[in-house]
Amino acid sequence: DCDDGEIVIKFSHVTNTDRHPKGIAASLLQERVNEEMDGTACMEVYPNSTLYNDDQVLEAMLNGDVQMAAPSLSKFEQFTKQFRIFDLPFMFKNIDAVDAFQASETGAAMKESMVRRGLLGLGFWHNGMKQMSANVPLLEPSDAEGLKFRVQNSDVLKAQMAAMGASPQPMAFSEVYGALQTGVVDGQENTWSNIYGQKFFEVQDGTTETNHGVLDYMLVTGVDWWDSLDAEVRDQLSTIIDEVTTTRNSESYKVNQEAKQAIIDAGGEVRELTPEQREAWVNAMKPVWEEFTDDVGQDNIDAAQAINAEQS
Amino acid sequence: MSHDPDGSVLGRFVNELEESAIALILGAMTIITFINVVLRYGFNTGLIWGLEATSFLFAWLVLFGVSYCVKVTAHLGVDAIINLVSPAARRGLALLAAALCILYAFLLFKGAWDYWANFANLPQTTGRWFPTGFEEMGRTSYRAWYAVVDIPMPEWLRFLEPLMNEGEEYEKLPRFIPYFILPFGAALLLFRFVQAGVRIWTGHRDSLIVSHEAEDAVDDVAHMNRED
Amino acid sequence: MDVVLLFASVVGLMLIGVPIAVSLGLSSIFFLLILSDTSLGSVAQSFFQAMAGHYTLLAIPFFILASSFMSTGGVAQRIIRFSIALVGHLHGGLAIAGVFACMLFAALSGSSPATVVAIGSIVIAGMRQVGYSRDFAAGVIANAGTLGILIPPSIVMVVYASATDVSVGRMFLAGVIPGLLAGTMLMATIYIIARMRDLPKGDWLGWGEVFAAGREASWGLFLIVIILGGIYGGIFTPTEAAAVAAVYAFLIASFVYRDMGPLAGRDGAPNLPLWRKPIALVTAFVHRDTRDTLFEAGKLTVTLMFIIANALILKHVLTDEQIPQQIAGAMISAGFGPVMFLVIVNVILLIGGQFMEPSGLIVIVAPLVFPIAIELGIDPIHLGIIMVVNMEIGMITPPVGLNLFVTSGVAGMPMMNVVRAALPFLAVLFVFLIMVTYIPWISTWLPTTFMGPEIITN
Ligand code: NA
Ligand code: NA
Repeated sequence: DCDDGEIVIKFSHVTNTDRHPKGIAASLLQERVNEEMDGTACMEVYPNSTLYNDDQVLEAMLNGDVQMAAPSLSKFEQFTKQFRIFDLPFMFKNIDAVDAFQASETGAAMKESMVRRGLLGLGFWHNGMKQMSANVPLLEPSDAEGLKFRVQNSDVLKAQMAAMGASPQPMAFSEVYGALQTGVVDGQENTWSNIYGQKFFEVQDGTTETNHGVLDYMLVTGVDWWDSLDAEVRDQLSTIIDEVTTTRNSESYKVNQEAKQAIIDAGGEVRELTPEQREAWVNAMKPVWEEFTDDVGQDNIDAAQAINAEQS
Repeated sequence: MSHDPDGSVLGRFVNELEESAIALILGAMTIITFINVVLRYGFNTGLIWGLEATSFLFAWLVLFGVSYCVKVTAHLGVDAIINLVSPAARRGLALLAAALCILYAFLLFKGAWDYWANFANLPQTTGRWFPTGFEEMGRTSYRAWYAVVDIPMPEWLRFLEPLMNEGEEYEKLPRFIPYFILPFGAALLLFRFVQAGVRIWTGHRDSLIVSHEAEDAVDDVAHMNRED
Repeated sequence: MDVVLLFASVVGLMLIGVPIAVSLGLSSIFFLLILSDTSLGSVAQSFFQAMAGHYTLLAIPFFILASSFMSTGGVAQRIIRFSIALVGHLHGGLAIAGVFACMLFAALSGSSPATVVAIGSIVIAGMRQVGYSRDFAAGVIANAGTLGILIPPSIVMVVYASATDVSVGRMFLAGVIPGLLAGTMLMATIYIIARMRDLPKGDWLGWGEVFAAGREASWGLFLIVIILGGIYGGIFTPTEAAAVAAVYAFLIASFVYRDMGPLAGRDGAPNLPLWRKPIALVTAFVHRDTRDTLFEAGKLTVTLMFIIANALILKHVLTDEQIPQQIAGAMISAGFGPVMFLVIVNVILLIGGQFMEPSGLIVIVAPLVFPIAIELGIDPIHLGIIMVVNMEIGMITPPVGLNLFVTSGVAGMPMMNVVRAALPFLAVLFVFLIMVTYIPWISTWLPTTFMGPEIITN
C-alpha cells in the first residue's frame, strides 16, 4: 500500500505478473521503485487487464487516470504511423538488430515522436521474434494460401497475411485458443513465449520458426504527468527504468528459447526453414513494405537495413 | 406496445422514433455479425471493420436505450420494501429515489462530457464532482486526431478534416463520432429522470422500477390462467 | 470497512426503490471519487467500454433476440405438443411433459423467466384442464423454468465467462450434463409423487403422433444443433453463434411456422403459405412484428446491460481498492479449504440473489471469489456451474425470486402460494446443488473430453 505523500504511479497491463516477459519486467520495476524510492514514490501494478485493456489504457493515460503502461508497438500506429516499421515483415534480422535499432538515434526519436499527442516513450521492452503456426504444416508461403489467420489489429499485419493469400481475422486474444481448437481460424503468429504461455501449440499442427516479425512493447507515460515531476524524481525513475529495461531485455532471448524448448518437450512440432524456403517467405511478404513506405519513412527503413547489415 | 406517458401526437411520434431506433440498432448488429460469419465460412473473407462496428452499435443501443427505459418504467428494482409502507411514505421514498437518480445521471453526464470533449477538441469541465467551469486547453487537450482501429473513414465525412484535424487526412473514423453517444445518451437519461421526478411529484407516476424483466410478457399471458 | 459501507449503500439504495443499476453506479461513483483519484471521465469510459470493450457480452443481445423470435413465433406450442406425445401417457404425464418442454425450450433460450413465460403459460392452463391443482402446476414450472440458465445457451454463463476470462464454449458444454441431470431428477420426483397421489395420466397417442409432433418441433429444435454444432464444429465463435441463432429463429418464425410476420393469419385466419405471398421474403424484414420483436429484445438488453455496466463500475472500485486480493488473503490465512470456501460461496450467492439480477450479481461476485478458487485448486468451469446452480435456486427462494414473480404472474396466483407450491421441488434442486458442488466430474467431464483440460493462462 502507498503511504500518504508518496507519488502514486499506477501501472496497468494485460498479462500475468510472473511468466510473461512484460509482466516480469513490470513486477521488477515495481519492486525496485517501491524499495529505492520509498517515501517519495509508490508503484501499483494492475495486471491481467483488471484495470484497462490495451485500447483503453492509452485513452486513460491521456486523461491522467493511469501513469504507466506497456502496450505492444502496433497500438501506437494511431499516434504516429512511423511505428508501422516494427510490424513490417522481415524488417529486422533478429532481436539484436531490433535492439540496436531501438537504441539508435532513430529509435530514441521514436520514443519522443508522440509528445505532441501527449505520450512519452520511456523504453522499448522486448517480447521477441514472431513465429507462425497453423493447423497444416507451413514450409512454403503457398502453404498459408487460403488459410484464416488471427492477427493483431494492425493494417500492416493484415496486409502481410493478404500478401500470402491468407485471410486476416481480427479476434479478441482471449478467444484465440478456442478458435484455433475448433477451426474458426486456422493459424496465428506470435512469439515463442506467447505460443507456449497461451498453449496455442496444443491446438496447431506445428509452429514454423520464421522469425518474420517482432513483438515488442513500449513503456509509456503521459507527458503532462511526467513534466509535473521534480527533476530529481524524474531522473531517479529514469535510471531505474533504464536498468530494468536492460536487465529484462537481455533475458528475453533466453526466455523465448526456453519457451521453444518447452513446446518441444511437451510434444509440440517445431519446424525450421531451409535458407531457400526462408528466401521464398521473404519474397512473398516483402512487397508489403512498398505499401507503407510513406507512413514509415524511407530513411527509417534505410536505418534499419544498415543495422541489419552490421549484425553477423 | 406503447407506454408513453402523454398520449399527444408529438409524444407518440417520439415514442415511435425511439422504439424504431432501438430495433434498428439491434437489427444492424445482428446482420453485420451474421454477414461476417457467412463471408468467413463461405468465402474466406470478411468485413474487417465488422467486429468494431458491432461493438460500437452495442454501446449505442444501451446508451440510447437507457433513457427510453426510464420513460416507460422498465428498469429493474426491488419493490419488496416500498410495497409494504403507507402510500405517503411510498411517495416520499419515490421522490428520494428520483433525486438520487437525477444526481447519478448528472454525475454520469459530467463524466461523459469530460471523456468525450477532448476527442472533439472541446474543453473538459473543471471540478471533481460538479462542473466549476471549463479547462484551459493545453497542448494535449486536442485529440480529434485520435481515430478508431478498424472502421474506415467514410468519404462523405471528409469535410470534417479541415474542421477537426488541421486538414490532415483521417484513415479511420475519428473517435469523437462513435463516442458522441456518451454525452448524448447521458443527457437524455438526465432529462428522463428529471421528467420522472416531476411526474412522481405531480402524482402521475408512483415509482421508477419494475420488479422483474418479464413484466410485459407476463401481462400478455396472464389471462390464460386467471380465476374466472 | 470501506467495502462494507459500499455494499450497505448499494443495498440501502435498492431497498428504497432506486433502480438496481443506479444503486450500483451511484454508490460506486461516490467511493471512487472519495477514496481514489479516479475521475468522472474514467467512470464514463468504464460505462462505454462495458459494451464496446467486452466482446463476449455481445452474445447477450443476440441470444435474447433468438429467444424472442422463438417465443413470438410459436415454437413453444410445438415443443409442448412433442413433449406430450413423448411422455404424456406416464403417471403425472402432463407435468413431466411440462418439465421436458422447459428443458427443450431452455436449450433455445438463454434466460429462465423467458422459459417460464413461454412454456408455463400454456402448460399450466393445460394441466389444470386435466385435473391437476394450480399449485402443483405452478410449483413444477417455477422449478423447471430455472433450467433456462443451466442448459446452454445461457446469458448468466456468458456473463461469468466474460468476468473471469474462461471460454464461453467450455461453460456451455459444462452445463449440458447438469442440465439433463436436474431435469431428470425433477421428472423422477414428479413420477414418484404421481404414483403416490395417483395423478392423472394421458393417453398414448402412438408413434405417429410422436413423429408428426417431432417433425413440427424439429425446425425450432434444430437451433440447438446450430448453436452447439456451430461452436464446436469450428464454424463460428459463441458470440457469432448467438447472432446466427437469432437470424435462424427469425427465418423459422416468419417463413416456416408463420405465426408472426406477413404470412401470419390475423384474427383466427390460417397462416398463409409462402407461395401465396412471395413478396413476404422482402416484407418480413420490415414487418411490424419483426420490428416489435427486435424492439422488445433491445429493451430487455438495455435493462440488463444497464445493470451489468454499473456492476462493472463497482468491479472497478473493488479492483482499484485491491479488495479481491485482501479477501483472498484473509480467507487463505484463516485456513479455509475448498469445502468451506464453496459453502461460503453458496451462502453469499443465495443472499445476494435476494437483491440482485443474476447477471449483475455474477459480475460482482465472480472477481471476488475467482482468485481464491484458483488458489484452492478449484476448476474455474466447475466454479461457474456452481454459481449458475446457486442463481437458479435464488430464483425460486423467497422473499425475492425472479421465477417466483414470473410464475405468480403467469399462473395468476399469489406469490406466497407459489413459494409453498415450489418447496418440494426446491428440495430436489438443493440436493442437486450439493451433488454439483461436491462432484466436479458432473460439470467438467464433457468440456474436458471435447476440449481438453482447462488451461489457466493468467
Ligand atoms: Na438456456
Ligand atoms: Na431468492
